[in-house]
Amino acid sequence: MDQLNVKEQQEFQQIVEQKQMKDFMNLYSNLVSRCFEDCVNDFTSANLSSKETTCIAKCSEKFLKHSERVGQRFQEQNALLMQNLQKR
Amino acid sequence: MFGLGGSTPQVSSQQKLQAAEAELDMVTGMFNQLVNQCHKKCINASYYESDITKQEALCLDRCVAKYFETNVQVGDNMQKLGQSGALMGRQ
Repeated sequence: MDQLNVKEQQEFQQIVEQKQMKDFMNLYSNLVSRCFEDCVNDFTSANLSSKETTCIAKCSEKFLKHSERVGQRFQEQNALLMQNLQKR
Repeated sequence: MFGLGGSTPQVSSQQKLQAAEAELDMVTGMFNQLVNQCHKKCINASYYESDITKQEALCLDRCVAKYFETNVQVGDNMQKLGQSGALMGRQ
């Protein structure tokens, strides 16, 4: 990939920030969907039960920890991949 | 003579940014898929606790490694198939 000059880097940084915001929004709605799917199955009431509330809390925290770990491994694997591609 | 023919084509700023953006999208897309798939394959959806268990952690590490290896293999396979003409009509 061609290197970006300073001006291009600045412009690209703006693009990156916009994407980060969009990505965060997607993360949020994805997580809501996931925890609803996995935790909320009792419709005898319109209010979340305490069991469901606890489940949602655990679901959210677990997902974020999961995402963090996957992110770390991803960086490592990506670095390895770059090394291997250069050897080819 | 000088500057006539043979030189590499000038890549515009616009094109460079688009290429960089495409690469970023690809990596982000891959990461998001990886997160979702490894969650499905490794994380217990009963959520007994909010921490990742040792077993789940090990599964995740292996899941990511295998995903990358799969990525490389599919790339190689597609290259071979492209050469043999199996991808004709798709290119």
